Amino acid sequence: MDPVILFLLLAGIGVSLFSGNADGVLTALQNGASDAVQTVLRISGAYLLWMGLLNIAEKAGLIRALSRLLSPVLSLLFPKAGGAREAIALNLAANMLGMGNAATPYGLSAMRLLSETNPRPGVATDEMCVLLVLNASCLELFPATLVGLRASFGSARPAAVVLPTFLSSLSATLVAVILCLVFTRPCRSRS
Amino acid sequence: MPIAILILLLLLYAAVRRVPVFDAFREGAARAIPLLKTILPTLAVFSAAMSLFRAGGAFDLLSSFLSPAANALGVDSALLPLILVRPVSGSAAIAALSDLFTQYGPDSRIGYTASVLLGSSETVFYTLALYFGSVGIKKTRFAVPAALLSLLTSVVTGLLFSSLFFSP
Repeated sequence: MDPVILFLLLAGIGVSLFSGNADGVLTALQNGASDAVQTVLRISGAYLLWMGLLNIAEKAGLIRALSRLLSPVLSLLFPKAGGAREAIALNLAANMLGMGNAATPYGLSAMRLLSETNPRPGVATDEMCVLLVLNASCLELFPATLVGLRASFGSARPAAVVLPTFLSSLSATLVAVILCLVFTRPCRSRS
Repeated sequence: MPIAILILLLLLYAAVRRVPVFDAFREGAARAIPLLKTILPTLAVFSAAMSLFRAGGAFDLLSSFLSPAANALGVDSALLPLILVRPVSGSAAIAALSDLFTQYGPDSRIGYTASVLLGSSETVFYTLALYFGSVGIKKTRFAVPAALLSLLTSVVTGLLFSSLFFSP
């Protein structure tokens, strides 16, 4: 993170000094920090509401139901996942329902389980790479907090982005799945 | 209003499954508080840095370099900060998105496209560091190129689908 922040700050101050705008530096920094407070106030309602509703969905068994639906696809993508399969299914299902915070603990425990059977510690197995790639491209069925964020900024149609978001994340996930199959197949037929 | 129906169905399903709805809601909402607490400092750093970057003129300078390339690809240069920070930090992306919402409005073409771009991609570098870091992976094999290609796909398809579905 440091290179990004340093670049923004140093370039920001540098250009301000060059253009004789040195007095504006402090104002701009403080305005930005105040904007952050405004943004958190705006999104906090959306976060409270959606994390509450999503927890109801989790308690009602929706993540489990979705992870059962996913299992045929997962046995294709993770043939050697063994005991980690359930955690992987829960991780991906939670991600698809926009529950990133519920997804991370499942994902990390899946990584730990995969790591226990890793013959070469320090080198990622096929399963680990596939899990990572799927997490980095995750299919979004309903981007709950995004819709909430749009509503909190006064959007007339906060949910109008759900379909294009779904289609775009579906394309990215399809590319990810195809790449995973391409990269893992040759190794498997050899072994 | 599809969201109203979605919430109605969720509540009915939960009631049928005898989920303690009130307690489940409170438990989930309570988890938002530490999350918001961790978001605020990150957001403050990025908002301050981005505000300075824009107000001081550095952003204009950078976009005058990048906008020919961006325009050739059909990307509005206002979207560049969001596209650039999205893979690095979720909070920074929220800061960039809120910035665009404030400047252009969430229902403008830019606000709409920015929403789709944020919604359809992930914090790829953060995920890499967190997941592989947690089990001490040094050799990441095909994970990084595959994750980056899928990120690139989400940017291209995000631009494509938002221009197809956007109606002012």
